[in-house]
Amino acid sequence: MSGSAPVLDRLPGDRRYWFLALGVLLLAWPFLFGSFWARIGLGALMWIGLAQSWNMIGGYAGYLDFGHGAYFGIGGFAAGIAMVQFGYPFVVGFALAIVVAAVLAYLVAVPTLRLTGAYFAIATWALAESIKQAALILEITGGTFGLSLPRSPDTFIGIAVPFAISETFFYYVMLLLCAATMLVTYVLFERHEFGYRVKALRDDQDAAESLGIDTTRVKRQVYVLSCVVAAVFGSVYAWYIVFIHPNDILAPIVTDRMVIMALLGGLGTLTGPIFGGLLVFLLQRLSSVFLGSSTFYLPLIGTLIMITVLFAPSGIIGILRGEIGRDDVRKNLKELGEKFDLL
Amino acid sequence: MSDGDTILKTTDLTKRFGALTANDEISLAVERGEIRGIIGPNGSGKTTFFNTVTGFYEPDGGSVHFNGEEVTGWEPHRLARRGLGRTFQIVSPFKNMTVRQNMLAVQTDDGRSREEKRERVGEILEFLEIDHIADNEARGMSGGQQKLLELGRVLMLDPELVMLDEPAAGVNPALEERIMDHIHELNDEGTTFVVIEHDMHVMKTLADTVSVFDSGRHIAQGDFEEVSQNEDVRKAYLGGTTAEDDEVPV
Repeated sequence: MSGSAPVLDRLPGDRRYWFLALGVLLLAWPFLFGSFWARIGLGALMWIGLAQSWNMIGGYAGYLDFGHGAYFGIGGFAAGIAMVQFGYPFVVGFALAIVVAAVLAYLVAVPTLRLTGAYFAIATWALAESIKQAALILEITGGTFGLSLPRSPDTFIGIAVPFAISETFFYYVMLLLCAATMLVTYVLFERHEFGYRVKALRDDQDAAESLGIDTTRVKRQVYVLSCVVAAVFGSVYAWYIVFIHPNDILAPIVTDRMVIMALLGGLGTLTGPIFGGLLVFLLQRLSSVFLGSSTFYLPLIGTLIMITVLFAPSGIIGILRGEIGRDDVRKNLKELGEKFDLL
Repeated sequence: MSDGDTILKTTDLTKRFGALTANDEISLAVERGEIRGIIGPNGSGKTTFFNTVTGFYEPDGGSVHFNGEEVTGWEPHRLARRGLGRTFQIVSPFKNMTVRQNMLAVQTDDGRSREEKRERVGEILEFLEIDHIADNEARGMSGGQQKLLELGRVLMLDPELVMLDEPAAGVNPALEERIMDHIHELNDEGTTFVVIEHDMHVMKTLADTVSVFDSGRHIAQGDFEEVSQNEDVRKAYLGGTTAEDDEVPV
């Protein structure tokens, strides 16, 4: 079977109880562990969601998108501009983020998705870099000064909330977004025929076309969807973090992290980005908290990537399934190269 | 443009790659319900012809008519949904999906419900005798089973015309027999076939009419016996040898 079912099948007992226990733990998290861990939790949830958004185009469709982080920044700036420059409430900024990301992603998809492999990666990387440079010089984005967003302490969509907008509030917003992203991925990519068509074009585009699949259309749909998801997270992040700057939310490291998380977890799987996202995010946070250096985790991640690419190209999910081709490094590299059309 | 019984017609179809003319003004008509074989030495333009007809290559000249409609330059998926199915020389199952998912990935315009589609998958897998591996990943299948899966996927299109590129290549004799039986059975039900095949035994038992390609040109057409005695065909295959007992190589 494809996807993550075999991993989930290995859980002892009734799977429903595991999901129920996980759900209860996630819902009670801020109250059980306090605001510091709520902040850690919301960060982890956001990165899991972002890794999943990259996994849609990178893992399921096999397009190595190195400009994906730009949509996170676009979402953040769309919300920020709506709130700061036009004085709208966050919900308008949120809607604007979706619309701007969808329109831009479609316009970008038309020329760039004609490219494959390294060419697509370079084109998207260049696009992200140009968007960042534009944000640094435009007045509406605050230029090199960035944007400071207002925070309405006690209302959401104009309705009073029972508790102040705090880490706890944003934790639940991220939990909702992350759960929605997982649900959309599960339904669309693992259960629906749409997902089979996406995987078909990744495995063999000509064969997919010969079977009635309009591969151009399917690729554009996946790309737009994945970019919109990244923008949604970006808009909420901007609202949460209050101050946004192009050098932060449009930095290449945003994309790099998504790629690394999906790759380490398991490309083109539902649960891979959860494992990869948690691992990378926690390594980063723990190295920052306990070792006083937020970059110490980078060489560690580099080593992990090398090990993954050489010995376990299916990532953590592959290891859990027992697919470790220790003796077959060449085959592993070839498989990964084929997945992204790099050979 | 098309005769009543002609399902596929190409007129002066030309495809060039730089200085090389891979298909040189190929005119060919396939009648509804027939099994047409295409033979020719390596590099004679058979697969290029398939690719140009099915929309993978833009032709440099000429036209393609399918079911009386001009379809020159149509995108492959559009032709597939119209009922023109094809397979490839190198088998290409979607290896990270199960056999059933491979079949369900096929997209048609026939308005079938999800249940009807799943039912059809079951019927085809049963017909091809691979229903017992429906939930196995395609990557674990044997080469022969992959050939059958490829044929099964094409059948999901409910095609009127199927173009098979070397369906018997690399399969054992028993499976080769099975594939030929399936083709005959489908042909009896009304599906037209155009088949590229190097195995002359297969061609002899399968094809009603054989078209011979050489250096990008359509040099001969007729039943198997006729073309195997044709002087131009012998030259194409044997480089001019005309020994009485020589047959087109098997």
